[in-house]
Amino acid sequence: MATEEEQIDVDDESNEPKGKKAAKHDSGAADLEKVTDYHEEAEISAPQIGEALNVVSTRKKEESTAMQEKEKELSKVKINKEDVDLIVQEMEIPRTQAERKLREHKGNVVEALIALTN
Amino acid sequence: MPTNNPLPPKENALFKRILKCYEQKQYKNGLKFAKQILTNPKFSEHGETLAMKGLTLNCLGRKEEAYEFVRRGLRNDLKSHVCWHVYGLLQRSDRKYDEAIKCYRNALKWDKDNLQILRDLSLLQIQMRDLEGYRDTRYQLLVLRPGQRASWIGYAMSYHLLKDYDMAIKILEEFRKTQLPKPFDYEHSELLLYQNMVIREANMLDEALKHLETHEKEIVDKLSLQEIRGELYLKLGRREEAASVYRELISRNPENWAYYKGLENAFQLDGEEEQLKLYTEMQEKFPRTAAPRRIPLTFTTGDLFKRLLDKYLRSSFHKGVPPLFVTLKSVYKDPWKVQVVEDLVLKYAENLKECEHFDRSDEGDKEPPTALVWVYYFLAQHFDHRGDTRKSLHYVDLAIEHTPLLIELYVLKAKIYKHAGDVEESARLMDEAQSLDTADRYINSKCAKYMLRANLVQEAAEMCSKFTREGVSAVDNLNEMQCMWFQTENAAAYQRMGKWGEALKKCHEVDRHFSEIIEDQFDFHTYCMRKMTLRAYVGLLRLEDVLRRHPFYYKAAKIAVEIYLHLHDHPLKDGDKDSSQDTENLTPRELKKLRSKQRKAQKKAEMEREKQKQEEQKKEHQNKKQDADLEGPKEEELVPDKLARVEDPLEQAIHFLKPLQLLCADRIETHIYAYEIYSRKGKLLLMLQSLKRSHKVDPENPHLHVSLLRFIKLVNQKKAESSETVHKVIQHELERICGNKDAKILNEEFLKRNSNSVLHRAAAAKMMYEYEPTPEVQEKALNLATKLSRDLSGLTVKNCIEVLEYMCRGEFGKCEKAVQDYQVQCHNLFPCAPSFIIPANSQPDQIVANGTAS
Repeated sequence: MATEEEQIDVDDESNEPKGKKAAKHDSGAADLEKVTDYHEEAEISAPQIGEALNVVSTRKKEESTAMQEKEKELSKVKINKEDVDLIVQEMEIPRTQAERKLREHKGNVVEALIALTN
Repeated sequence: MPTNNPLPPKENALFKRILKCYEQKQYKNGLKFAKQILTNPKFSEHGETLAMKGLTLNCLGRKEEAYEFVRRGLRNDLKSHVCWHVYGLLQRSDRKYDEAIKCYRNALKWDKDNLQILRDLSLLQIQMRDLEGYRDTRYQLLVLRPGQRASWIGYAMSYHLLKDYDMAIKILEEFRKTQLPKPFDYEHSELLLYQNMVIREANMLDEALKHLETHEKEIVDKLSLQEIRGELYLKLGRREEAASVYRELISRNPENWAYYKGLENAFQLDGEEEQLKLYTEMQEKFPRTAAPRRIPLTFTTGDLFKRLLDKYLRSSFHKGVPPLFVTLKSVYKDPWKVQVVEDLVLKYAENLKECEHFDRSDEGDKEPPTALVWVYYFLAQHFDHRGDTRKSLHYVDLAIEHTPLLIELYVLKAKIYKHAGDVEESARLMDEAQSLDTADRYINSKCAKYMLRANLVQEAAEMCSKFTREGVSAVDNLNEMQCMWFQTENAAAYQRMGKWGEALKKCHEVDRHFSEIIEDQFDFHTYCMRKMTLRAYVGLLRLEDVLRRHPFYYKAAKIAVEIYLHLHDHPLKDGDKDSSQDTENLTPRELKKLRSKQRKAQKKAEMEREKQKQEEQKKEHQNKKQDADLEGPKEEELVPDKLARVEDPLEQAIHFLKPLQLLCADRIETHIYAYEIYSRKGKLLLMLQSLKRSHKVDPENPHLHVSLLRFIKLVNQKKAESSETVHKVIQHELERICGNKDAKILNEEFLKRNSNSVLHRAAAAKMMYEYEPTPEVQEKALNLATKLSRDLSGLTVKNCIEVLEYMCRGEFGKCEKAVQDYQVQCHNLFPCAPSFIIPANSQPDQIVANGTAS
């Protein structure tokens, strides 16, 4: 029990500083904020939210599976470490980018380099 | 879970007060409370308190301590989202956004539903354009706070920016259904227009139109509504409806050319007669409007054009319209029309002088005397545009004789001299113009600009100081105001003077302005979402994405790259002064004079500096309080001498080049510079990349040709040492670009294709000699490069100077005689350009010193 209370305390506190910090960065916007009497409205009815959220989340799932599959396919491609080294050194790009390009070209370093020099 | 050593109630209350103090910017008090907790030996290492102490110190400008405390706090409590969040805020205040994002992510690990952290994270993600991350964060925010409209808008926008229009439209529609608009609800109206924008970007034209019709009553921005409607009708081929919309728009604003264009498209008019009928009708309807009189001059031809032009010109001269020439500039694309204009206006001049009428047969009132001045003024501009310096000076002088105090005339005369290449005379004239009205800032700025062109840096700053804030040096004030035309011109002047460090300082200042502008976006991420100005917000994001495409950045980057290349090739030695004045060719007396002049200048500069320092101290004192509040990290001071002595000039050059490669890929210079940089780094494939990109923009470019032939030579030399893969790639791509032909043959073919262009000839000649540096080839090459005749294209002052520079830089070997001959020839062609005037004791070296490094 005691710990739970503590937890809530900390939460509250942490919510506060951020408000201040955001205000600190964009002081101009903060001033404007004071001028405009904005208040958050909670007028969206529950069933509609549920419906919309449903649409949204199914879509999201599809998206992430498609992404994962593509990544999986790419990660299956075998690539040569020397090839990656060569690309990094010649094209002056980050390693991750070099690896990705190489994978996209099925490990063919010449083709990857031709694409990179386009 | 969130923290592993919670404070007891008393200390906890203190901690809360620290937060409150931070919020209210009572940093000193905050530190006091922190001290109270930390002096208790039991809590001397309390992580969250340490972190907050650090954050407070950061606000007091004690950066190093701040980092120390925040890091220590984090080490003591790695499981606290507060500590991570504070660390993220600290990083963000230093603009290390990538790091800050990582911190927020860590914070979210310990408190995954913390709204404030999620919001902060989403701001950083949109700022960094991590759109997928932004979408995910926005999703979480929506799930946590589905009742807030910002949640919906933000989530929809993330899809819009990712170009997933269906989803964006769907979310917006779901959200819209929940809204109950008030009467004249501007925010709701903007929401609808934003939704419509997304639908149109998805190219769903029917739906867009339907959407517009459904919500017509709720949209209060009637102008946008009509413009969108007109565009949609046109695209959908509903021409009659489009026509009526555009008619309405024209009566709203009869000077907007786009509306006329829309109307023309709606009618799908054939032939100039029909087109003209439309404009005649509009002219009758709006007799005082210029657009329907001016637009037909663009599409009409033959006698019809002559008649309309005659009418247009007469009424403008009669009234006295100074920018008349500018309004006609687009007509000058057609050489026939240029001739018609010339004939007409020359006739006016003659007739006005004789009988004060545009035409001898005219009757009625005489024209006012001003008509003749404006005719002369126009003719001077006309001949200047055609490159006929002599005639244009003749007419401007006639005009000055007629009306000696008209400022425009001096401005024009200065401009003519500038185009003719005589920058000093043009600066003098602009100064004269400026002296006629010292209260006019436009002319003041023009004058300063022309002074910079003539390398009169000090004078230009003094000129500007008439309008800049008092008590601060003009140059500093202009920097503060992000006055970039001044800074780019200033950089160019320093570059011409060989003051590399000073020039680089200006370039970096411009670069920083651009960073600053990108930085300024931050404020809008929350503000626009809240105020529903969503169309403008998306426009802003798209603008910022391509910000460095701006010509100001291009100019600064170009100068910086050129200088860094030069510094790479000729690094400054320890003893070198930044300005590399050529003292070798001076007589002892001249030298003495120069030295004493330099000493005086130095003394003066020192005194200035002293004065400035004092002022700065005063200012600092005043600003101290505000300073603590200033956001963003303090930037490193730009010291010219240090800039000119960088260890890695090529990396610096790449820093300036990168945005150009990304945003200005359609400008060939970008890739030419890239080639120059990478060739010095010996990176074959990156050189190849630049060549390929140049080739895509303009395969016949003379600079590309030079680079390509040099590359071929280099590749052959390096065959043995470079890796086989690299070689394979190069061979494959060269085959595509130039068929792997021999360099000499390529050169010959290139020359044959472009034998009547000055710069192409020079490029081919250069390569001829480079491949075969023998006396015979030298002669042949020089003949090729220096031939001047009127039928060559690109025969301009600028290009001839470029050729002269090649010769002076020794690209054709030693050839003093040829240089002099060439100067004489050019002088005949361009009598006003100082570059071609041979001084009594000629020093071709001087041009080398001023030449650029490429």
